[in-house]
Amino acid sequence: MTLAAGIGYVLLALGPSLALFVTLISTKPFLILVLLSSTLLWLISLIVLSGFWKAFLPIKTSAWWPYVILILTSVVFQEGLRLVLWRGYKKMEDMLDAFADRVAKPRLYLTDKMQIALAGGLGHGVAHAVFFCLSLLTPSFGPATLYVDKCSYAPFFLISAIISLAFVTIHTFSMVIAFNGYAQGNKSDQLIVPAIHIIAGTLTLVNLASSGCIVGIPLLYIVALSTLAYCGKMVWRRLTETQIRLTPQNQ
Amino acid sequence: MWRIEAHLIHRNPNPRIIISTMDGSILESIGVEIIGVMSPVSICMLLVVLLVYSLTSFNSPSVEPIRTAANLVYLEAPSDSTSQKIEGSLLNALVFVILIAAVTFLLVVLYYYNFTNFLKNYMRFSAFFVLGAMGGSIMLSIVRQFSIPVDAITCFILLFNFTVVGVISVFAEGIPIPIVLRQVYMVALGIIMAAWFTNLPEWTTWTLLVALAVYDLVAVLAPGGPLKILVELASSRDDELPALVYEARPTVSRGSRRGGLGLLVGGVSSDDVEVEMSRRNGTGSGSGSGSGSGDGELVEMMDEETSPLVPNARDGAFSVSVGGSDQFRQAEIVEDEGERTPLGAILGMGGEMEPQSRGGDVREEMTRGIKLGLGDFVFYSVLVGRAAMYDLMTVYACYLAIISGLGCTLILLSVFRHALPALPISIALGIIFYFLTRVLMEPFVVDLVH
Repeated sequence: MTLAAGIGYVLLALGPSLALFVTLISTKPFLILVLLSSTLLWLISLIVLSGFWKAFLPIKTSAWWPYVILILTSVVFQEGLRLVLWRGYKKMEDMLDAFADRVAKPRLYLTDKMQIALAGGLGHGVAHAVFFCLSLLTPSFGPATLYVDKCSYAPFFLISAIISLAFVTIHTFSMVIAFNGYAQGNKSDQLIVPAIHIIAGTLTLVNLASSGCIVGIPLLYIVALSTLAYCGKMVWRRLTETQIRLTPQNQ
Repeated sequence: MWRIEAHLIHRNPNPRIIISTMDGSILESIGVEIIGVMSPVSICMLLVVLLVYSLTSFNSPSVEPIRTAANLVYLEAPSDSTSQKIEGSLLNALVFVILIAAVTFLLVVLYYYNFTNFLKNYMRFSAFFVLGAMGGSIMLSIVRQFSIPVDAITCFILLFNFTVVGVISVFAEGIPIPIVLRQVYMVALGIIMAAWFTNLPEWTTWTLLVALAVYDLVAVLAPGGPLKILVELASSRDDELPALVYEARPTVSRGSRRGGLGLLVGGVSSDDVEVEMSRRNGTGSGSGSGSGSGDGELVEMMDEETSPLVPNARDGAFSVSVGGSDQFRQAEIVEDEGERTPLGAILGMGGEMEPQSRGGDVREEMTRGIKLGLGDFVFYSVLVGRAAMYDLMTVYACYLAIISGLGCTLILLSVFRHALPALPISIALGIIFYFLTRVLMEPFVVDLVH
């Protein structure tokens, strides 16, 4: 029974990513490579951060401000990482286009670029889910479950799975938004991503308060869903724009 | 398993991929080779981790350490002091590496004097032993663990069938064994060996892995290294390596095999390549357009798409091959043809890649694909399996590190076009990430969440 529950938690956290992976990414080997490298980059960033914070941990005080600083530094670091990823992606795109020209294949389509961004984001999201949720889920396969005092409405594992689902969504789609923003030089797209990240990160602090998860998790989901909606709107806009631009050429 | 399924669907040269090569993006054609090697390695590691989990977590922890060639000298006990453990494990690793080196030299000598049949039969015997005895014991412990109701006779017949098919498929000469079956058995051999090695005590495992990585480096790259000699001999004789290797691409038995199964592997299936090349070489496409891959234009297109990340068959023809120890071999990656790869070209290190300018031996070279030694499978999985005994987080970190190391090795291969050991980068990264994760990240993450 607990085995089923454990698998359920895993699927809850990673099911959507799994669906994305199977339908979109696994058919294109290159996207798998992008996903793996972005996951690795995220892992390295986590190691660096934890190396930096190891000096100050564990936090003894019950005050919340050390956590705010921790989240702020992490978000800043990871947003910097996103820029690095973007630089690398830019180089790679040139290489790919040059290669495509040489083998007489079409250059990267807009959807291809978006898929690369999606794969990169999914790598971040999956890494987040694996390290902050899946690694804690291991005991849930055992013969018991765990409740935390501060949020006694659901098992701890269920809550962490739900939270990590929100973060997977945010990470995955904010990468698409960010890459698109960088490509177009669109300032609002570029700025909204760190904003989302910081808001989502600080919202988890609500969980520290007693019974805070009742408020915190819905708020987190509002952020995640609005990220999704924003991303969807942006992609739709871009696609229709290119459609309009392409149509006269085809005629 | 879904990954390889997706994989197979993608690679099957059915109408879908032809359509997608017509107007699809280049994303689908790049990196096929890398993924073709990575996915079996991933599957192997995943299964080893599952095996380790299911066999250790519920079990009583009092598994008595086994005595193998890897811990001849020193049997680690949890009560020993750290210095004692380090010393003993170093000795163990040293002895094991010396043993492996001796066996490999013996292999080279035998191969040099053309005892090929003996070697092949020995390889069959060792496959039989591994599948039958070690696989059997693992099967028994699985049966016991999950209390599967199965009687001894059924069990024996299943095991016997499994083993015999495995032995036949390891070196299939003249028997049309589907390449998939062979690959499955290679992965199975890797899993069994790795599961066995995870029984080693902790310190011995780490020193052993490091020692093997160093040995691999020396044996493949140093002049006079046994594996280097072996590979050079094999390529000068244009012969298969007498070793257990995983082939990511089917060996084309010239024009005889036209089934569908063999085409499942390889983004540009070898048949297509062969068809194309034979037309170029002016020998006519007598071998027929296999696999219903459509008309010549499409075949040509498929042939054109050599990946920029790793050489395809026609411009790489490299093989990751292995030399030996008992049942498993150290691996190295061999590229036995001096053709520039697209990556090299892109990086500005390579020159022109013009297949037309090459001689008639192209077809010989093309029949070789990427080969990865079984030793790699085993020791990658040992590392991950050892990590699985600690935490899921370390497993994931190690997996990523090893896979990226493998990717680096493949990319280096396409740059250097030279026999390369596949263990050192991956093992080094894996060990570094294991300890970094364990020391730095775990307290951080756990503290953050609680």
